[in-house]
Amino acid sequence: MDLRAYVLRRLALTTLVLFGVLVVTFLLSHVIPADPIGAILGPQAPPELVEKLRREWGLDKPLHEQFIDYVCRAVRGDLGRSIRTNRPVLQDLLEFFPATLELATASLMLGVLVGVPLGTISALRRGSWIDHAARVFVTLGVSTPVFWLGLIMLMIFYYRLGWLPGPGRLDPYMTPPPRVTGLILLDSLLAGRLDAFYSALRHLAMPAAVLGWYAAAGIARITRSSVLEVMRREHVRTARAKGLLERIVVLRHILRNALMPIVTVIGTTYGGLLEGAFLTETIFAWPGLGRYSTGAFLYLDFMAVMGTTLFIAVIYSLVNLAVDLIYAYLDPRVRYG
Amino acid sequence: MSIGAVAGRGKDAAIVALAVLLAASWAYFLTRPTAQAPELLTDPDVLIIGMDISDAVSLDPARAYELTSCLVVNQLYDKLVDFEPPDYSEPVPEVAESWEVLDDGVTWIFHIRKGIMFTDGTPLTAEAVAFSLKRVLKLQQAPSWVLTQFGITEDSIEVVDNYTVKIRLGRKVAPRIFLSCLAFTVGAIVNPNEVKAHEKEGDLASEWMTDHSAGSGPFILEKWERESEIVLVANENYWKGKPRLKKIIIRHVPEPTDQLLLLEKGDIDIAWSLTPDQIEEVRDKVGIKVVSVPAYEKVYLGMNVGFKPFSDERVREAIRWAIDYDAILRLLKGGAMKLQTFIEKGIPGYNPDAPYYRDVEKARKLLAEAGYPEGFEVELMAPPTFPYRDIAAIVKQNLEEVGIRVRIRLVTAAEMYEKYRKQGHQLILARWGADYPDPDALAKPFADYRVKQLAWRNMWYDDYAADLVEKAAVEMDWSKRLKMYHELTEYVLHKGPYVILYQVVRQVALRTWVENFYPDPSFFLLDLSRVYKERVYGYGGA
Repeated sequence: MDLRAYVLRRLALTTLVLFGVLVVTFLLSHVIPADPIGAILGPQAPPELVEKLRREWGLDKPLHEQFIDYVCRAVRGDLGRSIRTNRPVLQDLLEFFPATLELATASLMLGVLVGVPLGTISALRRGSWIDHAARVFVTLGVSTPVFWLGLIMLMIFYYRLGWLPGPGRLDPYMTPPPRVTGLILLDSLLAGRLDAFYSALRHLAMPAAVLGWYAAAGIARITRSSVLEVMRREHVRTARAKGLLERIVVLRHILRNALMPIVTVIGTTYGGLLEGAFLTETIFAWPGLGRYSTGAFLYLDFMAVMGTTLFIAVIYSLVNLAVDLIYAYLDPRVRYG
Repeated sequence: MSIGAVAGRGKDAAIVALAVLLAASWAYFLTRPTAQAPELLTDPDVLIIGMDISDAVSLDPARAYELTSCLVVNQLYDKLVDFEPPDYSEPVPEVAESWEVLDDGVTWIFHIRKGIMFTDGTPLTAEAVAFSLKRVLKLQQAPSWVLTQFGITEDSIEVVDNYTVKIRLGRKVAPRIFLSCLAFTVGAIVNPNEVKAHEKEGDLASEWMTDHSAGSGPFILEKWERESEIVLVANENYWKGKPRLKKIIIRHVPEPTDQLLLLEKGDIDIAWSLTPDQIEEVRDKVGIKVVSVPAYEKVYLGMNVGFKPFSDERVREAIRWAIDYDAILRLLKGGAMKLQTFIEKGIPGYNPDAPYYRDVEKARKLLAEAGYPEGFEVELMAPPTFPYRDIAAIVKQNLEEVGIRVRIRLVTAAEMYEKYRKQGHQLILARWGADYPDPDALAKPFADYRVKQLAWRNMWYDDYAADLVEKAAVEMDWSKRLKMYHELTEYVLHKGPYVILYQVVRQVALRTWVENFYPDPSFFLLDLSRVYKERVYGYGGA
């Protein structure tokens, strides 16, 4: 099977998965006895108004009709209107996603840059002080509450030392670059605004470090065990016996073969980061997807809940597809079968 | 001694050293210095407020109904009448220079002030007033009931001449009630030209006005970036005089601890929502002051009379005697004050009577008389957030000491209102804020079951109370009206289905250079047009 057919088949499968996700989300969010209109209007709203808006939003229709309505519109790319923000869900998602994309990508880059070398070295120098230090780094990374870590970092680097700016994406007095992609770093480069680029980069540092540590911890752990496993294989012993340089043994014979699980964990980590990180976003006043989706879930804002879930499912599928393609590239035995 | 032991000892020493280092750096970094230089650290013409703005949905006055939206809308638009902070006793003229009520008690004539301009230079006329109020009636969004409750229809709003508007109410109502409602942001006067220019598919420009302003107020909306910031710039031609600030930036800072750090560092001028603990912490810091006001907001327990034990007045009375009110006030530090009747301090008709305190014996005796010597089991529904969660725990403990077994159920807003609106609760912990600063705004929900609000939700179908609410609402004589509310608050205090726990005290922390800032007891009366920043110290820490 060639690459194109493979990708097409995967996409077809993805559509099925997405439909499943929709059905489950729809059922779950409609089974819970809750009243989004009432919650949004607050305790004061008179009952007639609640009824009127419920009709307006079509919440009085039978469940199957609501579902069919939804799917028909979703297929055309219309994710409906959020009850809470009174805007098209897609518009909301596109507004909040770039901030998340920027933060997730920066965190992942940090995670990979730190995690892979750290995991590799601690496997190669198993039992050494580096290995122990790496273990402490990993344990802290996966177990320190993000909320706490974020506040401590703000306290030290913003409040006490003044090296980095406080919460937010940009200095409050600064005019942001015109919005093209929504990624401030990229937009400021496109507009030739180096001041905005620098400010955005400084604002990105702390939240990216918090999430990057978490990502690096997971990646380092998998890298270490994967490298250890490959090191025990016979081809490595053969390579060494042939008298190859250690550098070549590590890069070409160990790391390349250990990459599959590492790529997998990088993929899932990225997927997870792209969902948005509510706590980190709250601490660093980051206008990302995490706070939007949490708000949607708390108010049971059906349209936003389904839209967000679908959106995240699509992202996961794309990341998965990318991971699979990388597999095939890395390992000639895996072809699109 | 083996080598391993030596190495072990070295390791121990290293760990001890590391721990000492960590503790020292902890002490250094995390204890915040007590004093910050009082020089003005931010731009003197720009006020920066740190608050959670994620609740904002729309800045269209016909839709705005959340804290942030109403706060902002009030800076962008004028209303027929307004209240003048910090005096909230009487509505005062704004766009309407004067008004009169004809003898029938339902026809109101408003004389519009001449010379008011919208920010695009169009004069504000009677036409605009009528257009704005009709627009609210047409759109029928969340806050529209504040106007429709008077039976106003589009036909009953009439332009008499360029500067006179006639409004006919559906029924007679005490003048102060109607005027207070007109001071709510839903009564904002919008520029008809802008609305017509941005109308899409008959939406009366509602989509455009979600994040644009079309008013005559002291500020103009520059931009609203969701979950980032709302920026207002001064309306240089404001008819009451140019605002003293050039710009207001409302920064989205959802986490109170961040607000605290930013305030202490001088990066924001006002921290909107610090926790009671944080307020205590900053109260005495150099360069920071705390201003507070009793808010039109209370927290109460609702007892559903449809739940058998609560149908007995003695049981409801027993619960009122069982609660440790002071413990709840202590929990909230300065964020709460004693209140047991349903009209808050600051609203005319406030009744300071607070007879209840914790008396376990009395509560037990009343329960025994009502036939529950062994108590009963009840479910308490409460929001899962601070302070409700903690208050629920106190209530549980208090009630269990008199023999009532409490199951606490923490639920999200969506679930809570679904149940409450369907009378599906037994005991509920909730809050209530007044929508307009008139006793009627509280009497209706708390005492008149016919309006299907709190009294109805708690199945307290008391005709005496409901009749009194209706009578007070049409009483034209102010002192007689006040007497009625006194009687009503006393009656509900002892007979009603509520245990009123406290009145919220709004506390805002700000830098000492901010002047003329009066915290808003409601959520739609804040006036930032006269706020300014003291320049004595110079900008940039001279």
